[in-house]
Amino acid sequence: MKKLLALVLALSTVLGLLAGCGAKENTAQPTTEDTANTETNDAPETTDDTAGTGTEETTDDSSAVVVDLTILKEADESMLNTYSMIAVNPEAPFTDADGNAVSDVTVNTAGADALMHWLLLPETLDLAANYGMEEYGNTLFYVLEDAPTYEGEIPAATDETKTIRLSTTTSVNDSGLLSYLLPQFEEAYGYTVEVQSAGTGKAIEAAKFGNADLILVHSKSQEEEFVNAGFARVIDGMETERVSFLYNYFVLCGPSADPAGVKDAATVLDAFAAIAEGKYPFISRGDGSGTHTKELSLWPAELGITEDPESFADYTDWYTSANAGMGACLVMAEEMGGYILTDKATFLTFVANNGVME
Amino acid sequence: MGSAVEQAVQLIASGDRELLNILSVTARMSLSSSLIALLLGVPLGLLLGACRFPGRGLLLVLNRTLMGVPPVVCGLIFYILFSGVGPLRHLHLLFTVEIMILAQVVLITPLLTSHMETYAAQIAGPVRETAKGLGLSRWKTFLLLLNESRYPIFSGYLLGFSRAIAEVGAVSMVGGAIAWKTNVMTTAIMQYTNRGNFSLGIALGLILLVLSLGMNLALSLLQRKVAS
Repeated sequence: MKKLLALVLALSTVLGLLAGCGAKENTAQPTTEDTANTETNDAPETTDDTAGTGTEETTDDSSAVVVDLTILKEADESMLNTYSMIAVNPEAPFTDADGNAVSDVTVNTAGADALMHWLLLPETLDLAANYGMEEYGNTLFYVLEDAPTYEGEIPAATDETKTIRLSTTTSVNDSGLLSYLLPQFEEAYGYTVEVQSAGTGKAIEAAKFGNADLILVHSKSQEEEFVNAGFARVIDGMETERVSFLYNYFVLCGPSADPAGVKDAATVLDAFAAIAEGKYPFISRGDGSGTHTKELSLWPAELGITEDPESFADYTDWYTSANAGMGACLVMAEEMGGYILTDKATFLTFVANNGVME
Repeated sequence: MGSAVEQAVQLIASGDRELLNILSVTARMSLSSSLIALLLGVPLGLLLGACRFPGRGLLLVLNRTLMGVPPVVCGLIFYILFSGVGPLRHLHLLFTVEIMILAQVVLITPLLTSHMETYAAQIAGPVRETAKGLGLSRWKTFLLLLNESRYPIFSGYLLGFSRAIAEVGAVSMVGGAIAWKTNVMTTAIMQYTNRGNFSLGIALGLILLVLSLGMNLALSLLQRKVAS
């Protein structure tokens, strides 16, 4: 009994000490890094005294130093990244895993309508357009000029329509846009939005499996396939199944030294050709996501890179198919000094998070 | 690492509401799944270990095979069964804590069964002799065996609990890692890692370890009291 108590005490002391060291290390790091050339050893001590207010600012400064990955190509026509919503049709030709037709799939159509209508209110679009200004000093999403708007009433939730299942891509969720917008919707109308986030391919697959009421994704070809297969429906007040409303840009990032000379390439297509030509390391999502689909469309056709692993078997000395999320791929690109295609929102969030492991 | 420890301490100190929710879902999931698995695994394990009956060898092999089922495969099977188009769709269980518990029970029970079986096989002989000498009924013999197995029952529960709290493949699949509902420590760590926020991921990992430590200490104390 006594022995055990002593053990607990010893352990908590060790943990406490670790925590203490951690705090010191952290406040010391940014200053020593920033001023490594001139400062002497007493720098950490002085920062310790003023740790309360100074820490955050210095950490922000150092993030610019820590992350070498920079945006090399952006705002190119071919890099447009459009986000669309599609409501799932309960009468869709659902099939189970064996391919047998399933007719009675539960889809919360009223809830999906309410959420889509709310997202298209002029006020909501304003909120989305200004999101990111405070945290990242840059807006992360723009509202499409021809985005439809909704001016009508939105019904409050009932017991039956309360839970809305939204299947979306990682970029919308990881950028924090949804956790910024959705609580306001939930509070005003009493709904609960259950967000599952995965790459666009998986997000659409979840809807085909009857596990979502609406999807919010960014891959035109995959969306059109979904609509053409009869899985979508037109909601009240809209003209098409696919409701495109937000956009931002994909950006091509790479090491700041830019060995492939991507920055000077005339177009993004030229930039990709230059990377392939010089066999500079490139990190591909490789997970069927919207970003992956976009990347595949940017390689020179003669390389023949597709989703099929066979197609890039000869390029593995420079082409890495990571099969991972955007953040994980960015970390990989940073570590390997490689090029990478990413949506701008995730990249800015990544830089704000400091990018690397401490 | 240093800043991760600091972040972990800060997270706990700030009483972040989302973290508290994640912790409570994690606790609910791992405690109940390991308890259910214990209730199933202990009698099953004792039966397999102490009794001789036709088909026992087959059951043993089957159980050991189930121990090797990759969690993600178990998750996938449950996902397909309970999906909106799956045969069990009317139960509306996908993306709930209940189905996470169910998947965990399927993963953990074989472990507990095997754990108890190994022990029971060792003590079955002496226990049977004693029971014969005392002229005990079958039921009483079983109780005697159960009583003799107090110590491994505790370690078995810890085994199940540790596996449940650390599991990620199955629960992310059937639970969907939905914030405020089915997001547990491991899936939250995955999310932060995917966002490139490694230090917050490590911070959550440290909290998970400390929780595990607390649980282990508490149960070890109880084990000493009850089993000695």
